[in-house]
Amino acid sequence: MDPLAFALNPADYGLPTREELVAYRIWDTHFHGFNDRTDPLGQFHANNLYVRRMGIERSVTLEAGGTLRAPLQPAAHDAELRELLVQERAWLSGITPIDPGFPDESCVKMEAWIRRGPCIGIKYVGGNSRGIPCSHPNNDPIIRLAAELGATIYIHTWLKVGGTPRGPGRGNLPGESTPQDVVVLARRFPDVRFICGHSGGDWELGVRIVRAQPNVLLEFAGSDPHSGAVDFAARELGADRLVWGGHGPSRSYATELAKVLESDLSPADRLKVFGGNFRRLASPILRREGIPFEL
Amino acid sequence: MTTLSLPRRRFLCQTAASSAAVALARAGAPASPSAPAPAASPEIVDTNVTLFRWPFRRLKHDATPALVAKLRRHRLTEAWAGTYEALLQKDLAGANERLAAECRAHGAGLLRPFGSVNLAWPDWEDDLRRCHEEHRMPGVRLFPGYQTYDLSHPDLGRLIQLTAERGLILQIVFQMEDPRVHHPLLNLPIIDARPLVPLLERTPAARVQLLHFAGNVAGTDLRALVDRTGAWFEFSRWEGNGRLGQLIRPGPGGARPPVPASRVLFGSHAPYFPVETGLLRLFESPLDVETLHALMHRNARRLLPA
Repeated sequence: MDPLAFALNPADYGLPTREELVAYRIWDTHFHGFNDRTDPLGQFHANNLYVRRMGIERSVTLEAGGTLRAPLQPAAHDAELRELLVQERAWLSGITPIDPGFPDESCVKMEAWIRRGPCIGIKYVGGNSRGIPCSHPNNDPIIRLAAELGATIYIHTWLKVGGTPRGPGRGNLPGESTPQDVVVLARRFPDVRFICGHSGGDWELGVRIVRAQPNVLLEFAGSDPHSGAVDFAARELGADRLVWGGHGPSRSYATELAKVLESDLSPADRLKVFGGNFRRLASPILRREGIPFEL
Repeated sequence: MTTLSLPRRRFLCQTAASSAAVALARAGAPASPSAPAPAASPEIVDTNVTLFRWPFRRLKHDATPALVAKLRRHRLTEAWAGTYEALLQKDLAGANERLAAECRAHGAGLLRPFGSVNLAWPDWEDDLRRCHEEHRMPGVRLFPGYQTYDLSHPDLGRLIQLTAERGLILQIVFQMEDPRVHHPLLNLPIIDARPLVPLLERTPAARVQLLHFAGNVAGTDLRALVDRTGAWFEFSRWEGNGRLGQLIRPGPGGARPPVPASRVLFGSHAPYFPVETGLLRLFESPLDVETLHALMHRNARRLLPA
């Protein structure tokens, strides 16, 4: 059995064929393929079956350098991953996680992994030991350096229900940013574009929060597939502000692809969401890093 | 506009097979160079759709004719339909009656109604009787948590016994949505599946299907249900790249899969989830035609004949 062949024809079920998936030029801007605690490289290799099977053109890992659990602490597989990002640059890119609790150290890491390394952006992870969200002034030197490097800026956000009284965002971890935090930061840097991750955690609220801030894009990976969510986001923000991520292997490409495929977006807008918007955002640094790509 | 141009699409097509074969080999799964022969595409039985209004927002396909049309577009020719009204309403006799009428009026031969009983409300036994005798429903669906009880409720054993005696399917829903995005007024417990195990052991004739069930983190409850009961599973909550295949295919060295494919059924969780999600899961994992037939319709037909 060819592991890439579909045993049945997806078109018979109203789904794109593999060739059509490839034609969408899907860039997975939210790839967790190196997140395993014991064997991150093994996880990456195992997941490649699904990357190729579902026609993903490029994967952008969010854990290049360190780990999401300890962004500033070197990981044992850092050297191998760095080498992999160079060798497989035709289809694999890296974004390095930073920690706004430690802005100086974060900037040092950005110099090493972006200016002198293969990475194309930074990621704010979901919480940090000092409880510093992305709206805090600590972030200003990080964003200034990111802007200078042309690095993409991905900010994990959620609005977890919790607390007393219960409310959206009151269940967040210390330092876990909300979409409101992203807006506060984006107002301070109106010429820099930010990706608000996970559609704010709760897309019905997250879209409303970022709507009036035009330099904030919305990425909607890593949450359950809610029918109508992408239609809503496109209606309120415009398809030009939406970015797709796969969040695999912990999330299924089936989950994330379905969010767009069930939407009423035109084929042209689907191309933008599946990769065109991110390519435009990242094109300066992709060019500078000599990463081969078609816009 | 373009920097160092790479025909990535050609790269994908040319290198994918060998790379995937390497990945499969690493995972210990068999890889063969030959593609399967083209097969006729079977129709699909969807064992988990729900009608009427989700209480917390309008859903894209929450009008029954729209949902039916959507299902048909994707080759789903039968759907077992519960009702969102059973989540929070008290008059379940009325909710079940409306469900039956809706399926007759707009089901177009596709929808099969699964009413509900609420163990926390008085005289639930009569709701069960009406579902069976008046509405001729093939089964009922429970929504623990929303219906203010969990699976340790003292009446659950009796309900299982009664459904078995009546030849009804009992569907138990473990989750409707991610608790992190619940309306703040909701504060529902995580539903623990473990109390089901001894109850189902005592009633081997019961036909019980778990909907939107992933098992606990350690997988111990899933293992116990597989090993000690005859429960059936619907896969809409099996999240992660290739998760469906990983749960039903033999492991390295022919190791027993966590869940026998013969006890797994297609479920979309529509209209809350896009129908496409469940369909794409069937293609994301490398499954052979026989397995796909089992998941798409054969297993459902064993549980509930046409």
